[in-house]
Amino acid sequence: MKAGFVENSFIVDVSNARKTSEIIYELSSVLEDVKGKNVRLKLGEIDINISQLTSIRALIECMNSKLEFITTTSDETRASANSLEIPVSEIENKVPTPEFGADPVQSNKELELALDKIFGSEDFEEYDSKDYKYADIEEMQYINEDETGQDPYADFNKQIANANNVQVEDITEEIKEQLKETEKLPTLYIQRTIRSGQSINSDGNLVIIGDVHPGSEIIAKGDITVWGVLGGIAQAGTGLTSAEGNRYARIRALKMNAIQLRIADVFARRPDSANIPYIQKTDTFTPEVARVRDKHIIIQRIYEN
Amino acid sequence: MTGRVIVITSGKGGVGKTTTNANIGTALAKSGKKVVMIDTDLGLRNLDLLLGLENRIVYTIVDVVEERCKLKQALVKDKKNPHLCLLAAAQTRDKSAVTEEQLKDICEQLQKDFDYVLVDCPAGIEQGFQNAVAGASEAIVVTTPEMSAVRDADRIIGLLEAKEDMKSYKLLINRVRPSLVKSNDMMSVDDVVEILSSELVGIIPEDTGIITSTNKGEPIVNDEKSPAGKAYQNVARRIMGEDVPFMDLEEDTGVVAKVKKFFSGLVGKEK
Repeated sequence: MKAGFVENSFIVDVSNARKTSEIIYELSSVLEDVKGKNVRLKLGEIDINISQLTSIRALIECMNSKLEFITTTSDETRASANSLEIPVSEIENKVPTPEFGADPVQSNKELELALDKIFGSEDFEEYDSKDYKYADIEEMQYINEDETGQDPYADFNKQIANANNVQVEDITEEIKEQLKETEKLPTLYIQRTIRSGQSINSDGNLVIIGDVHPGSEIIAKGDITVWGVLGGIAQAGTGLTSAEGNRYARIRALKMNAIQLRIADVFARRPDSANIPYIQKTDTFTPEVARVRDKHIIIQRIYEN
Repeated sequence: MTGRVIVITSGKGGVGKTTTNANIGTALAKSGKKVVMIDTDLGLRNLDLLLGLENRIVYTIVDVVEERCKLKQALVKDKKNPHLCLLAAAQTRDKSAVTEEQLKDICEQLQKDFDYVLVDCPAGIEQGFQNAVAGASEAIVVTTPEMSAVRDADRIIGLLEAKEDMKSYKLLINRVRPSLVKSNDMMSVDDVVEILSSELVGIIPEDTGIITSTNKGEPIVNDEKSPAGKAYQNVARRIMGEDVPFMDLEEDTGVVAKVKKFFSGLVGKEK
């Protein structure tokens, strides 16, 4: 699924969805961003009947949003939209559509609330997300580069940077200090493949020459650098308490394919769209670094300079 | 409310315990039941992969046992069905990290909130098996129509019968290939039932769709066209107490077979 902004509207592209349940799930994963905005829904060739379309509209309206129009190639969907007086646009939208990783805790909750509103409340106990160890996570995002190696967020990042009048890669004095602190830590150097079920713990930095397979975990107080494919769980900047964690810690890998990334108390998971464990293309290596910016983990390509 | 605790076990490895667990769980949840699945295969967990939930696991059963989190925090909710939860196994620990008593306790707690607690058992009859069956009062024994799997299933049934609080166990025969059965190259369902002399809960045909579904992390019951998916759906309905006739495995072999069957009357019918 793809989503993108245009003026005060939010374009949600679910044209790959084959079932209505998939559309509802995909839609719910961008609920936070959709809030209060107009939604333009790209539906593709799926057939949607009147009651299903009503549910989708109700879900959007739960978030104080409005379903502005839909695009579709299905006649049935078009007929349903006409009878519900939802406008159908003929024009393909050609706005760039960066991919969003959803926040699992938040969006699951939102989804439940929204679904409850539509289908009636079920007596299912709410799990208190405040009890989580990572309590002060407001949002988790896992922003990834697309297949072509071009960062879909490049323009987006620049816009944010211009708005705040700072450079994207600006290293402030404070960060420099912190990076020096990390340099002082001892480094554990391991030259082998880390396989499923294995766990590596370091009191300082951790360098692994080799691949880190899914099902393993590598934990370090400082930075983690993997000279290979990072496929497991990597946890950098770990402290005994969340206050002791080091948010300036970085995770670097020749190929970033981690199931989960944790830096201090910030947490990100691999987007479901990339959740195909048996495909691991190792012929293209794009060295990347994961770091924390504004309580999110972001992943950036490492450039030559 | 007191839910049913069902352990899914086999003795032999690779006969489809975890696949069965994922599919029955998903099918039950689709029928509106509240279902939790417990993966007790510590160190060799797979259930999360089959459900496509690997990237959502933060806490595992070992974290619950060692009191690093509450039980409810460790439950991973399914992507599509909010009624379906998973309590994942720890990958970096081994079977000794959890005891029978602790698992029994977890099952008792989950029983209060869920209609069905499905326990995925590791292969073998060692500590892992003992842990998995500890909290369960019902069992599904998965086997394939091969001598080795049937022999191991017999051993497992013996152990289950010896367990006091095990109320009932039922047999699920997986990966049946009707064409091989017909040519006398594979044991038939009736043969297996006769050897093990136990009640049948389902017959699952061999289906190549299982491979793609496992790789995608999407249980095959979500695919309504697949024969294995339909069979698992039927198993779930039988567990819920419905009387569902066993699927005719010859059904999809074409018009000629159907005509033949019509005349011969009994070809390919089980039980």
